[in-house]
Amino acid sequence: MTRQQTMSTRDAKDAEQAADLLVTVATTLNERLAVTADELARSQALLREASDELMTAFRGAADRIVAAQRGADAIADAERTAEYGPVLDHLYRACQHLQSHDLVNQLIDAQKLRVDKMREKLLQALSLATPPISHPGHAEQWIERSRAMLDCIIAGIQQIDQDAHGPLGDKQRRGSVDLF
Amino acid sequence: MKTILAVDDSATMREMVTFVLESAGYRVIEAEDGAQGLDRATATNVDLVITDQNMPNMDGLTLVRSLRELRDYKSVPILLLTTESSDAMKAQGRAAGATGWLVKPFDPATLLEVVQKVLR
Repeated sequence: MTRQQTMSTRDAKDAEQAADLLVTVATTLNERLAVTADELARSQALLREASDELMTAFRGAADRIVAAQRGADAIADAERTAEYGPVLDHLYRACQHLQSHDLVNQLIDAQKLRVDKMREKLLQALSLATPPISHPGHAEQWIERSRAMLDCIIAGIQQIDQDAHGPLGDKQRRGSVDLF
Repeated sequence: MKTILAVDDSATMREMVTFVLESAGYRVIEAEDGAQGLDRATATNVDLVITDQNMPNMDGLTLVRSLRELRDYKSVPILLLTTESSDAMKAQGRAAGATGWLVKPFDPATLLEVVQKVLR
C-alpha cells in the first residue's frame, strides 16, 4: 500500500468517525428534546387544569356581580360603588393574574413549537445517515454526509425562531398604554 | 349604552375584557379573530373596537386597516390590546390608524380609564 493510499484510508476513517459522532450527538439531542417536549406538555396540562378551575370560580363571581349591578340601576352611583366597589376590586385583581395564566400558556405553546420544529429537523438529519455509503473508503462521501446533516440541523436552528412566536414583551412595558 | 367590539383569539382574554367592560356598564360583542371582527363590525355599528394583534385568519393591524377603509369606521376609536410592545409595532399600529396601544396583561382600571377617554 502506498503512502498516499494509507493517508486516504486514514482520512476516510476519520471522516467516518466524525459522521458517527454527529449521528450520536443528533440522536442524544433528539432524545433530550423528547423529554423536554413531554415535560412542557405536562406543565401545560397542569396549568390548563388550574386555569380552568380558576376561570370557573371567576366566571361565577363575575356573572353575579355584573347581574347584581344591573339589578341595582336605580341605586345612586355612590351607593353602588360602596356596595360593589370592593368586590370588583378583588375581581379586577384576579382578572389581571388570570391573564398571566393565559400568557404563560401561550408561551409554553411557543416553546413546544420550537422543540417540535427542532426535533423534526434532527430526525430529518438522522435520516440522511441511514443510506449505506457506496464507497466507504472515500473520505469525501463521509464529509458530504456530515455536511448535509449539519446543514439540516443549522436550518432547524434558524427556523425555530422564525416559526415560533411567543408572547414576549419586557416586564416594564406590561400594562403600558400609548394613545396616538 | 355604548357598544364595544372585543377581538381576541384567546377565549380567556375575551372573557376578561368583556367582564371588565360589562362591569362598567358597556355592551360587549366578541369576535375570535380579525376576519370575524370585521364581519361583526360591519353587521353592527360599534362605538369602540379593542383588538389583539397576533390572531389566525386576520391579524389586528389588518383589521384596523380594513375598518379604516369603511366609511362608518373612519373615526371610531380602535385600540390594540396585545403582548407586542416594540416601538416598531406601535409605529405600524399608528400608521394603520389605531387610536392607541395597550400591552397585556392589562390592568382593568387602566383599561376602563382609556376606554372612557377615547369614547369621550
